Amino acid sequence: MGLEQEERSDMHHRSCLLPMAFKDVNARRHIGLQQLSSLAGAGRTLLGPIKSCKFIVDESTNQSTLICSAVRLIESLDLSSAAGQILNETIQAQNKEFKTGMSTLLFLVGAWSDAVLECLQQNVPVSAIVSVMSEGLNSCCEKVRCLQMSVHDVNKELCSSRVRPHAFKSKTCQIGCDSLLNPQIFLDFQKEISAPEEIFPINSCSHQDEDCNFDKHLVSPLVGFGSIAPRVKPAGDKSMSLIAGSGVITSSCNKKKLTHSRYFSTLGKSHFSSQQRDFQGYLSGQSAEPCECYGLGHLAMALSYGNQTSMKLLQSIVAYQQERAERRGSSQFNIAEVVTCCLLGLPESYSCVSPGFVTLVSPEQATVIKYFEDKPLRILLMDGDLTEQYRHLGFSRPCNVRTILEHPGLQEDRAGDLWLRNMLGILKSFEVNLVLVKGNVCENLLEGCIANSILVIGSVARDVLCAFREVTGAQPVTYLTQLKASCLGSGAQVELWKASDGRAMDLGELVPVRVKVQGISLLTAVLTSTVASKMQLIEDQFWTFVYRLHHALNDGKVFLGGGAVELLCLSHIQMLGDEPLQPPNKNAVRDFHNPWLAASVSEYKSVVLQALARGWKQYLSVLMCNTAKAASELEACTSIEHHLQKAADCGSPSAYILKEFRRGDLFSSGSSPFTDHTEVLKVYDNVTAKTEAWRRALDLVLLVLQTDAEIITGPKRNQLLNSHGSSEFMFL
Amino acid sequence: MARLEAKKPPLFIGEPLTKDTVSQSLSLLSGILKSCYGPAGRLKQLHNGGGGCVCTTSQSSALFSCLSVSHPVLRVLTASVQNHISRFSDCGLFTAILCCNLIEHFKSLDVASCTVIKISNHILSLCMDYLKSEACACRVAVDFSSIETLLCLVRSILKSKPACMLNKPEVDHLTALILKAFMFTVPCHVETNAVLGKCVIVPVKGRRVVDSTVLPGLLIEAPEIQLAKPITVKRTCSDMIKTALFCMSMSGDLCNSEGGVITVPQRICLEMSELNQLLNIGKQLVDAEVGLVVCQKVIHPSLKQYLQENQVMAVDRAGLSLMEPLSRMTGSNPIASIHSLSPSCYGSLKDVRIENFASKHFVHLIPNDPVVCSLILCNRNETAWDELKRACETAEHVLQLTIKEPLALLGGGCMETHLASYIRHKTCNLSTSSFKDMDCSRTQYQLVADGFCRSLESVACSLSHDGGETLTDMVYGHCWFVPSGFPSVSNWSDLVSKCGCGINGSAENLNWRLLQGRFGSPIILGCPIDPPVKVADFLALDCFAAKCSGLQVAVETANLILDLSCVIEDQN
Repeated sequence: MGLEQEERSDMHHRSCLLPMAFKDVNARRHIGLQQLSSLAGAGRTLLGPIKSCKFIVDESTNQSTLICSAVRLIESLDLSSAAGQILNETIQAQNKEFKTGMSTLLFLVGAWSDAVLECLQQNVPVSAIVSVMSEGLNSCCEKVRCLQMSVHDVNKELCSSRVRPHAFKSKTCQIGCDSLLNPQIFLDFQKEISAPEEIFPINSCSHQDEDCNFDKHLVSPLVGFGSIAPRVKPAGDKSMSLIAGSGVITSSCNKKKLTHSRYFSTLGKSHFSSQQRDFQGYLSGQSAEPCECYGLGHLAMALSYGNQTSMKLLQSIVAYQQERAERRGSSQFNIAEVVTCCLLGLPESYSCVSPGFVTLVSPEQATVIKYFEDKPLRILLMDGDLTEQYRHLGFSRPCNVRTILEHPGLQEDRAGDLWLRNMLGILKSFEVNLVLVKGNVCENLLEGCIANSILVIGSVARDVLCAFREVTGAQPVTYLTQLKASCLGSGAQVELWKASDGRAMDLGELVPVRVKVQGISLLTAVLTSTVASKMQLIEDQFWTFVYRLHHALNDGKVFLGGGAVELLCLSHIQMLGDEPLQPPNKNAVRDFHNPWLAASVSEYKSVVLQALARGWKQYLSVLMCNTAKAASELEACTSIEHHLQKAADCGSPSAYILKEFRRGDLFSSGSSPFTDHTEVLKVYDNVTAKTEAWRRALDLVLLVLQTDAEIITGPKRNQLLNSHGSSEFMFL
Repeated sequence: MARLEAKKPPLFIGEPLTKDTVSQSLSLLSGILKSCYGPAGRLKQLHNGGGGCVCTTSQSSALFSCLSVSHPVLRVLTASVQNHISRFSDCGLFTAILCCNLIEHFKSLDVASCTVIKISNHILSLCMDYLKSEACACRVAVDFSSIETLLCLVRSILKSKPACMLNKPEVDHLTALILKAFMFTVPCHVETNAVLGKCVIVPVKGRRVVDSTVLPGLLIEAPEIQLAKPITVKRTCSDMIKTALFCMSMSGDLCNSEGGVITVPQRICLEMSELNQLLNIGKQLVDAEVGLVVCQKVIHPSLKQYLQENQVMAVDRAGLSLMEPLSRMTGSNPIASIHSLSPSCYGSLKDVRIENFASKHFVHLIPNDPVVCSLILCNRNETAWDELKRACETAEHVLQLTIKEPLALLGGGCMETHLASYIRHKTCNLSTSSFKDMDCSRTQYQLVADGFCRSLESVACSLSHDGGETLTDMVYGHCWFVPSGFPSVSNWSDLVSKCGCGINGSAENLNWRLLQGRFGSPIILGCPIDPPVKVADFLALDCFAAKCSGLQVAVETANLILDLSCVIEDQN
């Protein structure tokens, strides 16, 4: 067994291990924490609504990937170290559970690792760091509850405030909807804001910086609530688009053009384009029901940022599902009933939501569809592979069976042909038109089916099969030999998927088709892009938005966004730190992990609390820098301190933050001449996803902090024994 | 012609304990174990060094299962500690650390090892007599009619595993759950032979700890259940669900694995004939009005389809570990072959439901008498979940041991220091005849006894990991901790707040002394007495049976190792 001596922060106890392994140079530098810090550093620019994408290049294969999220970053990093492994595990766990909050987690891991390392430098005992930090986080999570709002209240407020053209400092949120619908007001407003707007020449912005938000904001709703005719024409250049009728060219590449952020309310210049589009939306699709959008559409928007396309898709999904929910009394928003289909080669403006199941098939298969026309099809669902060799899970093939042929005359058929004929025979005799298969499909059978006008689609997700089972009454089978008439469903329809302008798409190798049934709950978000490397980003981001809404509804409440929660944490920590230190022996015993820790804990409390605060302070300042709210971290810190001071002066920090949030003034740069006209775009955050990201980040840092050695087991140990680096290890 | 190779002669190593490599390895091992000990213990990352999964732990069960030690002396030690862990789950580190301490202390004595062994065995018997006597002041009786002491016992176990990453509310939540789960396993109607039921841990990783919960009955994960048509399960006239339990594979594959070739003509399809046999069983089950079929392994899809069409719910892939509790809970005999189907095999259940928990689908089997329960255990990440699972299993085991012997020992180092002061007190009043029996002088006895007590006290000192001092008081003999950074001349009563186990406060001057004082033998006062208050809210308690066994194993193993005079290694 090799024991890697990791750096030790406290020297007293280590003397019982072999002293020769100490690295004096690194005294009080914990290697695991340093590894965490450096890994997390790579994700700094992924924080916040404006992310800078990264190219990750594999030097051995020269392949590169474009990534724009913490999960994808972690997937592409070398994580051979133990700390890296646990970091990966933590990020994946957050992703699996929430699909959001991973960059926050990654960032805080880095910030808190640095802060804890500094505590170690100051000789703070490990146990004091652990107990004060975890108690501190607990206390903050309790405190920020006052910044939670119920989803219901948020819905109400959003629906009434979103229709205001101007956000004045009025205390009430009840400017009537008619002002919006008054075209004169709108036009005036448009003139006013158009004047200072710089119109970017075409192509000027594509290479401005590493920020790859090329075209996140250029899409107006193709499918809004209900059906709306397309309003956007792709203007050739993918980073530019004309919004029909408005005459305003918007560009999206400028950092200042953040249209919507969960973190910072729009202000200054950045509000123009978003307002423009919002009004477009209202005037076209949503104006029919300006105050009754069911709220969820606006809630989805308030929880999301950046990509307008995805946001509109989400709104369509919400509208569709809510309408359905009202009719059937089912749940409001069900993510199990949403799937995605990525179409490469179409501009992003073609993204839309289609009821039913949209997927890609080969052109040969697509030819079958024209025989179907509009007639209702008999559908079969299969929950395994459709191949001759496939056997259900857990079936072990006999290896010692020899088959002998008794009648050589029958040998003309190869065994495979016999199977093919039998299967086709079954399908034909039951008059099956459409087969959805969970796994793979045998190529020969596929051809045979095409010849017999049977459409077979493989690799269909289980949720999709479920949706079809529910609506068609089909009962999935594993083998075709099991098939009975009662297993078949009916009423399915298949058509070529058409883009919103009515054009059927021929994307070369694969053709999108849409399978639908009257009353099916399944929705497919068709995601389109012309840039192959962006497809993954678009899909990831879409799911992030979907999950944010899902979690908000699950939690039943949301946090005020825009940095409000973090700011309150900071002010709360200030308060905790200012509490008079208790005499080391008497009180506060029960709060801490061990009774004998109480004394040492109170001694180091303020240092450790400062370390905890550093995480959020850096988080806010990096966000402000990433979103160009501050020119430098110094400026950002000044602004944060300013708010903290005002919050403290005000007596009740939460009341102050709430007030500033309502005014939309939190972290506004103040220097903008347009602040008066800023629309209050309220932004909200997920409650559980956020606090869980904090907790997971801190848990990880504390877990690594408390680790003082690695024990290497297995065959690697012997390699180490013989390697030249063996002096770093000790062997048992 | 066969060639014979001469056998290598065995390697003979005399006096293994005096060798440098052995003592270095021993002190390294002891250092690793000490650094893991207690609620503030440091964690170890166990991994294969090649990107495999990382286990972060401070628990003896995980550490010892992957420590591969090369030297025979160390192997003796790890083997006996592992044996202790497999029998008691708890107090593994205590055992191992005490054993290392004893070897270290006894080795440095200038006393013949056979004498040391005799004396330490005598001291061990003094300890055991004391711990088992009513007069013992470091144990508390566990009252099963109130939950306070039980909660303390479980809480102490959870708190001493820092790699579980639990905060205080989470510890409280889980403590209550573990106790609740244990209560489920105690049968309501006790006959002459009461057998405890079982608590099965169901993993839900990635969730918050507070999402954990306990359900009566068993949960079987069934990912495909959402694809199946919902059915109303057939019930008997007494509104029960007749249950058949299969431990054979029902997947329809050939079950012979003895080798040899089966020759079949092409017109016969073995798969079909197997399936027909299965369907025949299905028909018998339907005729017998069975409502639920649970199979340890896989059920053929066609059989499942047949059963479902006849309102029989089929659940497969239950797994070996669930078979015993399933059989216990339903009262059915697992059916091992298609020929052993008989009406006496069937059992019954109160209800069957489909439960969804965190995107996982389960079939929930609800029994009449819930002696079997499921603990749905959540923790945020893999490594913390694994650690928590081990901790929960330990807690469950400790509760089982405690119900047999309703006693607990004071934890937080207090039992060790108290026992050490008791031995110090006891041995200075020993009669001369006892020395004669042991063939030793009083001085020799005193030396060994001092080593023994220091070894015990040194275990208590291992609880503190951030420097600082460990004290003991001269009244109760409990253990007290002082943070680092205070000069040792300070008035101790200003610095200590509570003793390690939490039973004593520092209200009066208890005459503290440093535990690891190098100079001067401690002044022996009277026998340590019972603390004034027996019940406090937050006591650190240890399992009585586990700790007593740990003490015995440690002393006996140390004696065995001291007795080793040579190691003979077969080099072939």
